[in-house]
Amino acid sequence: MTLLEWKPAYSLGIPSVDHEHQELIGMINEVYEHMAEASDPVAIESCLEDIYAGVASHFALEERHMREAKYEEYDAHKDQHEDLLDEIRDMMDEFAGDPQSGRETLKKSLADWFGIHFATFDARLHHSLGDHP
Amino acid sequence: MLQLLQKAGRWLFDPLRRVLDRGFGQQLNPLNFLGALSIYFFWIVTVSGIWLFIFFKTSVVGAYESVEYLTHDQWYLGGVMRSLHRYASDAAIITLVLHVLKEFLYDRHRGNRWFSWVTGVPLLWLVIPLGITGYWMVWDQLGWYVALTSAELLDWLPIFSDSMARNFLSADVLSDRFFTLMAFVHLIGLPLFLVFGIWLHVLRINGPRINPPRVLMAGSLIAMTVLSLVYPALSQGDVDMTTVPSSLGLDWYYLLVYPLMKYWSPGWVWGLLTGTSLLLCMVPWMPPMKGKSCAEVDLDNCNGCARCADDCPFGAITMEPRSDGKAYETEAVVDPGLCMTCGICTGSCPTATPFRRHTALSPGIDSPDLTAALLRKKLLEAVEHLEGNHRIIVFTCRDNARSSRLKSNPKNSQTAIVDIICAGQLPPSFIDFVLSRDLADGVVLAGCPGGDCQYRFGAEWTSERIARQRDPQLRKRVDNSRIALGWQEPWSVCGDLPKIVTALRESLPAVAEAMHGPPPGRKNPWKIPVTAFAYIAFAAIVGYLSVWPRFQLVDEGKAMISLSFSHAGQRIRECRKLTQEELNKLPPNMRKPDDCPRERLPIRVVFSANGETLYEAIRMPTGLWKDGSSNVYRRLTVEGGNQHLFIGMNESGESPDFDFALEQEVDLAPGKHLVVEFDDIQQSFVFKEE
Repeated sequence: MTLLEWKPAYSLGIPSVDHEHQELIGMINEVYEHMAEASDPVAIESCLEDIYAGVASHFALEERHMREAKYEEYDAHKDQHEDLLDEIRDMMDEFAGDPQSGRETLKKSLADWFGIHFATFDARLHHSLGDHP
Repeated sequence: MLQLLQKAGRWLFDPLRRVLDRGFGQQLNPLNFLGALSIYFFWIVTVSGIWLFIFFKTSVVGAYESVEYLTHDQWYLGGVMRSLHRYASDAAIITLVLHVLKEFLYDRHRGNRWFSWVTGVPLLWLVIPLGITGYWMVWDQLGWYVALTSAELLDWLPIFSDSMARNFLSADVLSDRFFTLMAFVHLIGLPLFLVFGIWLHVLRINGPRINPPRVLMAGSLIAMTVLSLVYPALSQGDVDMTTVPSSLGLDWYYLLVYPLMKYWSPGWVWGLLTGTSLLLCMVPWMPPMKGKSCAEVDLDNCNGCARCADDCPFGAITMEPRSDGKAYETEAVVDPGLCMTCGICTGSCPTATPFRRHTALSPGIDSPDLTAALLRKKLLEAVEHLEGNHRIIVFTCRDNARSSRLKSNPKNSQTAIVDIICAGQLPPSFIDFVLSRDLADGVVLAGCPGGDCQYRFGAEWTSERIARQRDPQLRKRVDNSRIALGWQEPWSVCGDLPKIVTALRESLPAVAEAMHGPPPGRKNPWKIPVTAFAYIAFAAIVGYLSVWPRFQLVDEGKAMISLSFSHAGQRIRECRKLTQEELNKLPPNMRKPDDCPRERLPIRVVFSANGETLYEAIRMPTGLWKDGSSNVYRRLTVEGGNQHLFIGMNESGESPDFDFALEQEVDLAPGKHLVVEFDDIQQSFVFKEE
């Protein structure tokens, strides 16, 4: 089951950011696959931790591009990033504490979490940075 | 040897630093801003100098008078400006010396930091002459002494064929033009090079501290102004070249080596100066050398976010076009010639999270001396023996570890210590890791003592990361009341590391107990007494050494005699008339009737007082062709009173007879200055008393 799919509309016109978006989608889908297969919690935890590191560095890169483009909604977008990172950490801890309920939370929120970020904030960034397919 | 010296120096320096920490707080300790304070004093000097120059007259008589006018008639402004001009430049020397000393004692001049160290040395060579020319321009007794001694020093260098010092022996020789030259050197020449030199000095540093904190600027300006009002800078009497300026108030900050000229020849003084400078330049390469390592980039984990490049205190990281074909624009590249391997880049890297337990913990950039993976391993080992619910883990930087007393404490079940290179090396996610995984109940980050980070910004960046003002930010979910940053208020009030650990432990919310505020919210009782005392002591030292202890150019009861003249010796052979035949052979435009050799013979000079020979020398002709006149310049000291003086000179060097001589009984009162000159027109010696 593939929950998230890359759409050209997601493109920010910055190849590196787009590339990472695709990579992250891949990582998130991998978690879902693990959950669908009801595999070892350690494998899921490991995926989550990699997502955390990946998202953290992805945000760092996106923030760099926003700063360089003098994106006017930088602060709001940056706050969103920080909140999202906190949320992943919450999910990680919840999963580590109680894999069963953690699994439920993950199922509910992981895709939303990424989808909302795409739909709202990155879309605005998308318009702002312009000049891309 | 050098290490011993550093250790001994630190043993003296550390208490001073601790005392100032108490008063000013670690963030505002003036010892952390010595370079910036020096530049700030330079600005005060510049502003006050502009005011002085508006009223300064560049002439022999005008110079002294205009400075007197400023000092007395316009004391409320010009006088204050003059005093500020002097005291701020004196203060700059104190901060400069402390700056050099501190960088040396705390080993901040080695490795890739050699550049800033070595470019600092010429700055000293610019600042000192800047002060010297300043004293020269005032043209009081001290100015005369400074001029005379400086000229004697410069005359030793084989660049002037004539003696420069001779200009300062009698009033009729000195010209106004000279003050224009001094004004140029003092106002434009040296400052221009100085500004350029400062730029070069900080060139390699990322975000150099050019300005000290405002509180320190205000404090030191007030201290200097109060000193100027209480103890104004004064001139030391109009120049009277017939009298020796016996007791002079010397500015020891700038004229420290000048008194040596009383005992040493200029050559030795130059030797001391150049020797010291060369030694200073070589210090960074003296043993013990450290193994050289350099931060390493792992391209698989680097997406080019540039945080490391932003945070590197040494500007060692640049973002360059991608070299591995990945879809990223840039990658971090480390310049091994600049990297100090402090690990601050790892602390900034978003991929350096300890949560990556199942895949390799390999951040985008890592310090080979202590990798993030090794750091996590050490952390997990260190916490193994911890028990209870007051467990504290202390991350301490190498330099703090060196001076902290925590190390000697026996291992206990409540405290674990992990050494890191620099506080800035610790990514904030490690703190999240410790607290969320319940590895400990509290985290102490101990930076360098005094918060004066060995790697410049480690402590500062960490403070900001923990306060969520700098990337990577500490997650909001982490409870800050469980974290103590040793260099930050209120923890710094606790003083040393063991006390910080205890204070944090006491403030930790015990299980099932109501949370109470983290800080041991003590007021700092030391603040006012220590800062007030520091400013007063600083001003007192500045003021005292700017005139005291006084210097005796010529001892009590003695008089000074200057031999000062130049005379051309005879030609090595007589001129010869050319015969008509010889003339005919020459081209028409070169038919000079005489054939005269250019080269001259040396002259021999003997000077004696009361039968005792005080000077005897054979002086060579000057000039590349040995065709110039021979110079005689010597300052002598004799007993005051009646003196039977004799001077004799021989133009051809060899003969024991004198071609010119003068013998005279002179009543030379103590403190008098007599100049022995040779009058070229009269072709005779003169003993000039006024």
